[in-house]
Amino acid sequence: MQFGIFTVGDVTPDPTTGRQPTEHERIKAIVAIAQKAEEVGLDVFALGEHHNEPFVPSSPTTLLGHVAARTERLLLSTSTTLITTNDPVKIAEDYAMLQHLADGRVDLMMGRGNTGPVYPWFGKDIRAGIPLAIENYALLHRLWREHTVDWKGKFRTPLQSFTSTPRPLDGVPPFVWHGSIRSPEIAEQAAFYGDGFFANHIFWPKEHTQRMVGLYRQRYAHYGHGSEDQAIVGLGGQVFMRRNSQDAVKEFRPYFDNAPVYGHGPSLEDFTRETPLTVGSPQQVIDRTLGFRDYVGDYQRQLFLLDHAGLPLKTVLEQLDLLGEEVVPVLRKEFAALKPAHVPDAPTHPSLVEAAKAQDREKVQA
Amino acid sequence: MKQRNLVVVSAGLSQPSSTRLLADRLSAAAVDAAAGLGVGLTVQVIELRDLAHDLMNHLLTGFPPAPLKRALDAVESADAMIAVTPIFNASYSGLFKSFFDVLGQDAVADKPVLIAATGGSARHSLALDHAVRPMFVYLRAVPVPTAVFAASEDWGGDESEGQLRGRIGRAAGELAREVERRDPATVQDPFALTTSFEELLAGG
Repeated sequence: MQFGIFTVGDVTPDPTTGRQPTEHERIKAIVAIAQKAEEVGLDVFALGEHHNEPFVPSSPTTLLGHVAARTERLLLSTSTTLITTNDPVKIAEDYAMLQHLADGRVDLMMGRGNTGPVYPWFGKDIRAGIPLAIENYALLHRLWREHTVDWKGKFRTPLQSFTSTPRPLDGVPPFVWHGSIRSPEIAEQAAFYGDGFFANHIFWPKEHTQRMVGLYRQRYAHYGHGSEDQAIVGLGGQVFMRRNSQDAVKEFRPYFDNAPVYGHGPSLEDFTRETPLTVGSPQQVIDRTLGFRDYVGDYQRQLFLLDHAGLPLKTVLEQLDLLGEEVVPVLRKEFAALKPAHVPDAPTHPSLVEAAKAQDREKVQA
Repeated sequence: MKQRNLVVVSAGLSQPSSTRLLADRLSAAAVDAAAGLGVGLTVQVIELRDLAHDLMNHLLTGFPPAPLKRALDAVESADAMIAVTPIFNASYSGLFKSFFDVLGQDAVADKPVLIAATGGSARHSLALDHAVRPMFVYLRAVPVPTAVFAASEDWGGDESEGQLRGRIGRAAGELAREVERRDPATVQDPFALTTSFEELLAGG
């Protein structure tokens, strides 16, 4: 099982000091967080994509390319890549380039984006969010698998004899996850292609996750990619830890109370009960996270959100220490002990290359 | 006798409130009227005061806490609704509006609704037809023709009390007839897949 972190890259004032980091500080902090993730033994770093303030990551492959050069093992991913407002041709090219530079340590998570005004800035309309996600991904999927593409659709100019360059590393496209909170069409899309499905699983009740993952697993089997429990599932999660759980609650409360998304709304206690947010000791995080399996089954990837709501870099790095030293080693062991042998790990570049070779051998024999 | 569900939404703020009093009179009259048509009505009352904090939290976080979720589900699955609000500033109260603002799309579409309101004097009564009725029409609910307004004076005096009783009876009769001639309400599952992937790919 893979463990990692994901960030949306918000620039939020620290509510305890009123100080807001500059964009430059925040961008450098994201890089520091990614490097620290590798240092403490995490597997995945995923970066959001946003084109509106207060978020800074408008150019994910630039930042991830930089992180790729400063890390050795860390798998770089997105949370999410906007499949609606980006040109699928540019996604195909940018991420294939990143894949080469990172020696295959790349996968992507597709998302639609939920901010209405952003769509027209890129010539799109949020009301067509689902059709855009379906059509654009269908094109992206072909661009990475077919050398020369003729294509015509509703949302961009047609392509004649187009070849996206560079070609994917070793002829193997990056693995793709599809992220959604509550759109069954996206679970269906992930299932149709045999791609991964990632449930946001922060800010929302677990019932959303349970229903969406259930649907994805069922449709994954329907499309013949394997049994329901072999589908590739990822979950988000949000935690804040201190060795003593009372210290965690006391320290995190002002960040919670003033956070974007849920600040000035429910109490910390209500929100930790109603959503997967866990604020407490490393042991509490371990127990809660192991409990996710009870309603989604054995899954392949767990990403934590650690760095939003104005938490200072120093605190985030301390959180990464706790995650890497005390939480993830236990989770790795416990999840591995529970997982049946026929449930696969999340695909990686080496495993996909191996699978492609095996497929070629079968063809030769046939 | 066929069975149907009636949900009563009351946005009164004080306890006891005249809004709840009117809601109870209306639901009792609706049960009687429906029984006369061979329909047994099960009544569930939702006091929005109890859900006030949950409503604000839903507006801020985008999902309902469990007690509010149960109330929203009760409205969606009901075969008919009685909705009663105090009139504030020539319209429904903010609490009343907030509840219907977080209700799912189509949750009350084609649902018979009896609208009613309370206020200090009869001068506020047109708010029902100028504010409350258009909102339910927008939601594609089916508000019955008679809306019931009760001013403070309606709760006293023989003559005025008799007039209120008459309006309650007429509105309850209208609601009961709508319930009697309709099929039971159906509930949509927001997580259900309604199109095939082939249709989606084709731009469906």
